[in-house]
Amino acid sequence: MKTVNYLKAPLTINWAVTNRCNFNCQHCYSRTDPSEELDTPTLVAAIDKTVKAGVLSINFGGGEPLLRKDLLEIASFCSGRGLRVSMNSNGYRIDRETAGKLKASGFSKVGISIDSHIASVHEAFRGIPGSHQKAVAALAYLKEAGIKTSISTVICKINHRAVQELITFARQQGVQQLNFHNFKCSGLGYSNKDELDLSAAEWKEFYLQATAAKKEIRDLEISLDDPIIASLGMKTETDSLVKGSICGKLSLNIKSNGDITPCGFIPIVIGNIVKDDFKEVWDNSQVLDRLRNKKPTGKCASCASYEDCLGGCSARALALTGDFNNPDPHCWINEP
Amino acid sequence: MEKVFRNPDVLWREEDDPKAQAWEGLAKGEDVEDVGTSVLFADGTMLSLNVLGTEIWKRCDGRTVDEIVADLSGQFDVETAVLREDAVAFLAELAEKGFVRYEDR
Repeated sequence: MKTVNYLKAPLTINWAVTNRCNFNCQHCYSRTDPSEELDTPTLVAAIDKTVKAGVLSINFGGGEPLLRKDLLEIASFCSGRGLRVSMNSNGYRIDRETAGKLKASGFSKVGISIDSHIASVHEAFRGIPGSHQKAVAALAYLKEAGIKTSISTVICKINHRAVQELITFARQQGVQQLNFHNFKCSGLGYSNKDELDLSAAEWKEFYLQATAAKKEIRDLEISLDDPIIASLGMKTETDSLVKGSICGKLSLNIKSNGDITPCGFIPIVIGNIVKDDFKEVWDNSQVLDRLRNKKPTGKCASCASYEDCLGGCSARALALTGDFNNPDPHCWINEP
Repeated sequence: MEKVFRNPDVLWREEDDPKAQAWEGLAKGEDVEDVGTSVLFADGTMLSLNVLGTEIWKRCDGRTVDEIVADLSGQFDVETAVLREDAVAFLAELAEKGFVRYEDR
């Protein structure tokens, strides 16, 4: 294995194809984003630009992707061009028929957002009564249709002490993967951070439990995408290719209006997929250059884990300190 | 003799600039072992391969290890026995990660 310092294009694009949503989540990062959407021909042409650049997979998000009436058409185009197609959804609109259509259009994997094994907790967080049962049913329909499934759980005050319960729940649903996403403090997540975000000590406690479970459990893939776990001697799945956050190194985010950002939680527009040369943005963006070449500051300067974590999540550092080069505020090293 | 197949679920691509750099280095007799010329990823695992690893990977299309080694021995300045040993170890690592599978002829 070798470390790649420079890729000719992102491996993955996270594409927010719409910002419309049928849910009302307390932590949503995209409620304040523009409502403008690319029409089908423009979106398809934009996706083709990324394929020609070398992108291998596309993950639809938003908003709720299934609110776009042309989602299946777009997915069919993507799979026909050889892209690996996946999606993050709240699952509310996925019945047996829809799951079959998703499979037929080329979806290989669908992640369903479920934030608690307890229905009432999930529904209070997501703002929609009945949404837990719908999400569970969606997982079953997707599995039946032959699509790989995962549960995406945003870790925050409502669930951080329920690691074992969440794992048991995921096993019961028969999903292949359980993604524990760190809380990002973007959009409504920033507005509600005082009620939802954990202290550095609570993050450490959560990750101690989650990493122990990840080492122990073999029948469920537990995904932890947070670089700050390096100080616990753990590595993210992408560690062999890049250190620290993957944003702008292995992946990019594209918003519903075509604006390109390093990730969905870093609201710095570095170009537009319709108007700009995609390769030019990837190769020459000064913002991406800074993300790829972070410098240790503050407590990171003397931290033994810095070369692996590179300051942690750039999005959180930006949201809470104003500079993504600063230490991740969730990091517990040298904190009381 | 077992045939070797890439796992079709693995996404991969070559990186143009490092690939050119590696082949240029090889032509000059330089050590390019640390130059990653391709990236591979599947659920939960990502790898970068150097030029020899990449050339072996590209040939995992139903050929045997001996066929792969025979094909590559003219392109790399290394004894066939050493190349074979490296290829067997490398493929064993890929098989353990689920990136390739073996099938009897």
